[in-house]
Amino acid sequence: MANKFYEWIDNRTGLNTFLKIALDEPVHGGARWAYVFGSGLIFLFILQAITGIVMACFYSPSSTTAWGSVYYIQEQTSFGWFIRGLHHFGSSAMIILAIVHFFQVFIYGAYKKPRELNWITGVFLLIFLMGFGLTGYLLPWDQKGYWATQVATNIIGTIPVIGDYVKVLHQGGSDYGNFTLTRFFTLHVFILPLSLVTFLFIHVALFRKHGVTPHWKISEKLLKERVDPFWPDQVFKDIVFAMIIYAILAGWVFWKGGAELQAPADPASNYLARPEWYFLFLFQLLKYCQGNLLIVGTVIIPMIGLIFLFVLPFIDRTSSNSPVRRIPFFATISTGMIGAIALTVLAIHHDAHDVHIIHQREDAEIQAARAVILAKKGIHPEGGMSIFLNDPVYLGEKIFKENCNGCHKLNGVGGENGPDFTNFGSREWLFGLLKNPKDKKYFGDSGIMSPVKLPEESLWDISEFLLSQSGNLLNTNIDSLERGKELTLKGTCAICHPIGDINAKKVAPNLTDYLSETWLKDFIKNPDDQKFYGTKNKMPGYEGKFNANELDSLVKYLLSLSKDRLLVSECIRQEPVKNTNNVSPLTPNIYFGILTEKYLLASK
Amino acid sequence: MEKSRRSFLKIISHILGGTLAAGILAPIIGLIIHPWLKETIYGTEDFIGIGNLDDFPVGIPKKMTVTSSKMDAWNIFEGLVMGSVWVIRQKDNSLKVFSTNCPHLGCGIDWGNDVNKFLCPCHEGVFDVNGKVISGPAPRDMYSYQTKVENNTVFVNYKNIT
Ligand code: FES
Repeated sequence: MANKFYEWIDNRTGLNTFLKIALDEPVHGGARWAYVFGSGLIFLFILQAITGIVMACFYSPSSTTAWGSVYYIQEQTSFGWFIRGLHHFGSSAMIILAIVHFFQVFIYGAYKKPRELNWITGVFLLIFLMGFGLTGYLLPWDQKGYWATQVATNIIGTIPVIGDYVKVLHQGGSDYGNFTLTRFFTLHVFILPLSLVTFLFIHVALFRKHGVTPHWKISEKLLKERVDPFWPDQVFKDIVFAMIIYAILAGWVFWKGGAELQAPADPASNYLARPEWYFLFLFQLLKYCQGNLLIVGTVIIPMIGLIFLFVLPFIDRTSSNSPVRRIPFFATISTGMIGAIALTVLAIHHDAHDVHIIHQREDAEIQAARAVILAKKGIHPEGGMSIFLNDPVYLGEKIFKENCNGCHKLNGVGGENGPDFTNFGSREWLFGLLKNPKDKKYFGDSGIMSPVKLPEESLWDISEFLLSQSGNLLNTNIDSLERGKELTLKGTCAICHPIGDINAKKVAPNLTDYLSETWLKDFIKNPDDQKFYGTKNKMPGYEGKFNANELDSLVKYLLSLSKDRLLVSECIRQEPVKNTNNVSPLTPNIYFGILTEKYLLASK
Repeated sequence: MEKSRRSFLKIISHILGGTLAAGILAPIIGLIIHPWLKETIYGTEDFIGIGNLDDFPVGIPKKMTVTSSKMDAWNIFEGLVMGSVWVIRQKDNSLKVFSTNCPHLGCGIDWGNDVNKFLCPCHEGVFDVNGKVISGPAPRDMYSYQTKVENNTVFVNYKNIT
């Protein structure tokens, strides 16, 4: 039955003959492991195509939906993170393999007459491959992709005369928006694949026409004698190689936990963009080509490299394939490669030691984790960024940076007129204050309070008690708290600081409900109130300058700075979704503070 | 010798190729069938709040719009108008909530204040204040919804129509 059907098909299509031609191709000189790289690339391309098509079932290319749909693939589906991981790291694998293939072909001299067009189509394929990487990077519309791609489109803009036009055409307008995504998407899933398949077809057809280029040491005689059929001799090796690639790739995806998805693109942020690793050398090159020289890095050097690759088969006319006879060409290619590697290493090395970038990466990770939590409640139609609009911590941070950071230092950044807010409101912070209020980190010279002259143990106890009043201290130690209470109420503190009656006034700030949300709000509004600093105050009051929501957000943000506190905030604590059928097991109440720590630890 | 080596290679290649394809296709299929495994589009609430108990006069039907939010894959759409209902507060403070759609062919039912009856303008269906058919072509009484009152707020189970 099956045979009959096969015969019927064969009679009408010539399938059998076609398969014979395809599979019985003689491999002169015998099947070899050295020939697996090309087919490995084809395997990876098919893998990219399949994973890409499945993701396209979920993806939605517009500036308001792109991030949300990728978030959905990543977090809400069962295998989405894995498929996306395969696709993401698969592109890197393709680049690596393409470089290996390139060198194998180069070393074997496989670009020489009559195979010039094999080589040239190959160079085109390499360009398309990089085009895939470039266009795909933007599609999630996250911070990383958005800002890195900005660099790329600006580079296009530096091409003389036509640059700006080409840039506008790519962006679909003068700035990034919906059309940027639809265009990049079209390039990524229609134009580039079609181009690549076309050139791949020619590349493979030409390869079939001319056959493999054997090792230069294999004698003519052996070439004639040893002929293996493509199937199964070479195919077997190709399959084994494909399995190895897939195993490594899948393992890598598991180890990395899938591809990264950063927070939604925020056009107002000043994110330091870094491209994918295989573009880093170009990126680093730009650092050395500043001002008028920019065009050297963006256009001239890459162009020279490309032109060299295109004309290589025509300038290398040596008759032998032996590398010894082709030293000048080896030298040129090696110099280019070593240069690219050196630039890449320099770029990585620089970023690994730049405090600013390290901080930013940590921030980006926290932001990404927060984005995922907030997005679980659904993303408003305004787009990915809208998840932050109602997030007090995000708004609070913004307000802090705009209004407070000038005087209050935070994590090493900011002014020194007021107390340092690093780890603000933690036991450690308060302990330090009690120990030496005149420290630069606290009140400095303007401080009036004198250091509390008690053993360190007691200072911790007092901190424990004072902070416990705010109600959101983590892991309160009752014994310590009781001792601290005793010390505070009966000791010298209460001489200057009223405590117990919220409205009582003495020379120093009222410590009733110290650092609670209400206390902080009252304080920020009127620090010169008699129950706080009174006439000794130096901080401007913010009564009337913030609306209730802003003040609330700021206070929540301040409380989130400390590792010792639980951030109890409606927005961040997940409200359980009412429709129980749809609750993912990952949705339980997650507190941002805890999650942050988890992510920071994981990133170290 | 050479021949048996090749047929062996062919078998092995088939097995390996099949394994590889299965390893790739399994997660792919797992992702494609996602809509079978999980609801992708749904209302976020079963019971939807429609107003305060005090807002409803005893014995006189009041028409209320039902707004709720919908999850559509990654998006949430809030404040969507789902439809409207007739609410009648009883003497014992319990509530009766009817669909405004006529059980005959779905026209919008009005409350006739002068006659104290529900009137359907399309084919002259008439229902009493408890939703019972009095006259007209309707095959059954008016559709109703379950309700509950929490903290003085009236909730309607808009998903379950009876
Ligand atoms: S639709 Fe109401 S009576 Fe026909």
